[in-house]
Amino acid sequence: MRLNAKDLAGAVLLMLSKAQRTIRANAKDLAGAVLLMAVAIVGFWINLEDHAIGTARRMGPGYMPMLAFGLLAALAALTFILGLFNGPDPLERWTQAELLAVVGGLAVAIAVTWVLALQPGLISRNWYPLGLGMLAGCLVFSIPPRWRKLGLVTAGMVVFGLVLEIGGLFLAIALCIGVAAVADETQTVKGTLALILFQIVLCWFVFIKELDIRVNIWPQF
Amino acid sequence: MDLLIANLAHGFGVAFSLKNLAFCLLGCLIGTAIGVLPGIGPVATISLLLPITFGQEATTAIIMLAGIYYGAQYGGSTTSILLNLPGEVSSVVTTLEGYKMARNGRAGAALAVAAIGSFFAGTVGTVLVAASGPILTEVALSFGPWEYFSLMLLGLIISAVLAQGSVLKAIAMVVLGVGLGLVGTDVQTGQQRFTFGIPELSDGIGFVSIAMGMFGIAEIILNLERPEAREALKTKVGTLWLTKEEWKRATPSVLRGTALGSVLGILPGGGAALASFGSYMMERRMSKYGHEFGTGAIEGVAGPESANNAAAQTSFIPLLTLGIPANAVMALMVGALIIQGIQPGPRMVESQPDLFWGLIASMWIGNVMLLIINLPLIGMWVKLLEVPYRYLYPSILIFCAIGVYSLQNNVFDVYQTAMFGIFGYMCAKLRLEPAPMLIGFVLGPMMEEHLRRAMLLARGDPMVFLQRPISGVLLGIAAIALIAMLLPNLRKKKDEALAG
Repeated sequence: MRLNAKDLAGAVLLMLSKAQRTIRANAKDLAGAVLLMAVAIVGFWINLEDHAIGTARRMGPGYMPMLAFGLLAALAALTFILGLFNGPDPLERWTQAELLAVVGGLAVAIAVTWVLALQPGLISRNWYPLGLGMLAGCLVFSIPPRWRKLGLVTAGMVVFGLVLEIGGLFLAIALCIGVAAVADETQTVKGTLALILFQIVLCWFVFIKELDIRVNIWPQF
Repeated sequence: MDLLIANLAHGFGVAFSLKNLAFCLLGCLIGTAIGVLPGIGPVATISLLLPITFGQEATTAIIMLAGIYYGAQYGGSTTSILLNLPGEVSSVVTTLEGYKMARNGRAGAALAVAAIGSFFAGTVGTVLVAASGPILTEVALSFGPWEYFSLMLLGLIISAVLAQGSVLKAIAMVVLGVGLGLVGTDVQTGQQRFTFGIPELSDGIGFVSIAMGMFGIAEIILNLERPEAREALKTKVGTLWLTKEEWKRATPSVLRGTALGSVLGILPGGGAALASFGSYMMERRMSKYGHEFGTGAIEGVAGPESANNAAAQTSFIPLLTLGIPANAVMALMVGALIIQGIQPGPRMVESQPDLFWGLIASMWIGNVMLLIINLPLIGMWVKLLEVPYRYLYPSILIFCAIGVYSLQNNVFDVYQTAMFGIFGYMCAKLRLEPAPMLIGFVLGPMMEEHLRRAMLLARGDPMVFLQRPISGVLLGIAAIALIAMLLPNLRKKKDEALAG
């Protein structure tokens, strides 16, 4: 029996192309499954460490978390397996700068929060470390244009939290809108200023005059 | 029957107080406005306004929030018809026939039939809520922890099955929501779970933070990434009335849409969006004028618009009678009630008659108001679209920030909301639906409580869930719903229906 090399190569190529057509990975599902799996594993592990499970008859505080995170892990695994075949649904391609910004932003946020939280004194109280950490992270995030909208809108929210108690409501509104406005290229300086003024008046009326929430409106010294 | 009338009379007495009327109108106005505006939906708006309702009485607060929900169904149809721009998910199908009608010069007729159909459906829906409320409440009072657990499980599964996209991922999101709901102090032992020593987490993750972050902040970012496509109104509205021929064609569609919407609204996981899609499919198949679909058939406006409003009303039934939210908006209502110190459930009819009957009466009054504020004022609502998104989104952001801060006067909630904003953005990019997660988050703690009580009473035997007849039937339905979605044929139909 003689093997025809040409036929063999043809058959292999055919098989490969068939395999390529049948194995269609769904990148979105795979990434989602990994995210859910990570939550499940962390939750399951913390639960085992910290909480008494109890028995089915007398459930302890750890019983329901065990069920929930166990089920989540199973569902994530199933999503992952099915995700190998039900694509293709590729994720949008990231450039190197974009990837760096995500990793860098996360690292900066954690590092800043960590370092500031260990400082004695005023800055380590009232969630300032968390706020400053998140702000730093968001700003790193905003370096590539792709994440600018995500980074700056979130940063606007964080700035509001940082400024509110020392700077007062009006300053917090102004800075929050100022930061968030940069996220949209069509925004003009004049328009932003007008919007800030309008929002200050509106928020004063709704939240201070009508609802009377307890918050400083002017900076505290 | 006499009792029903007496109860309704009591409800109208409550709803006709000046304050409740004013807030009902306010809710309807806000609802119409956000219905017209694409990019902000009822879920985001209600979570935005939740903090504002704290100072009010519970009845007034719920009346206003409900007005936002069904008001949005009215407003959503206006821009769908005039500009081919659905303001809400539930009015996406209205663009199919409605916009074609507008291009044929029948914009006025399309708007009129949408409003009249909605009003009729809203009225029927309100009567259904009033009539079925007390009956279902009777049944629910005989429920033990087994039935409650099974019912909630059924609700979660159906809400996942009917969610957009992959059922598997939706169930995973439900379970993730249940997991997030476990954070905080364990009710029975007082132990802190998953709080990482953060005192702010001992009461659990803020419900408002999750809703605002995932539906408000994440939406803003996603909207900014999409290029803005808005056109000025070119079509002439014309006379706001129907011809005799149109009346004849639209009436059966309104009736069918109302019936279908009422049923789909009660289903857990159902709601306005599903009802309008379902009705469109049904009309295309059942109408004598099925061949005209795609060229501006009035049935394709009358049916879905009636259906979504009927569903918006009847989705209050599971909430008011069983305390179980049927969709994300109702989950927010549960949150609003709990913050007011009211535990939603079958006892609400007796312990809070003002709230229960007042809300029902206000829903009908609200529908009348909507008819009035929508038809003659359509020009004004369309003008609203000329407000560019660049002025809108910083305002939404500010309201989110102040609102969430004012919950506990704590900036931690602001940061927490920002984090859920990023998480919501990630979920949207990975096609993980946030709505099932929110329902899981609300139902999770209640399910745990019932599960623990049920297992304690049953001495640790899980078979009791199948042995109790009602509980067994509910679990059976859940199983059937799950299996049905595994059939490729049915799944394809669902995807078609939800994708329009």
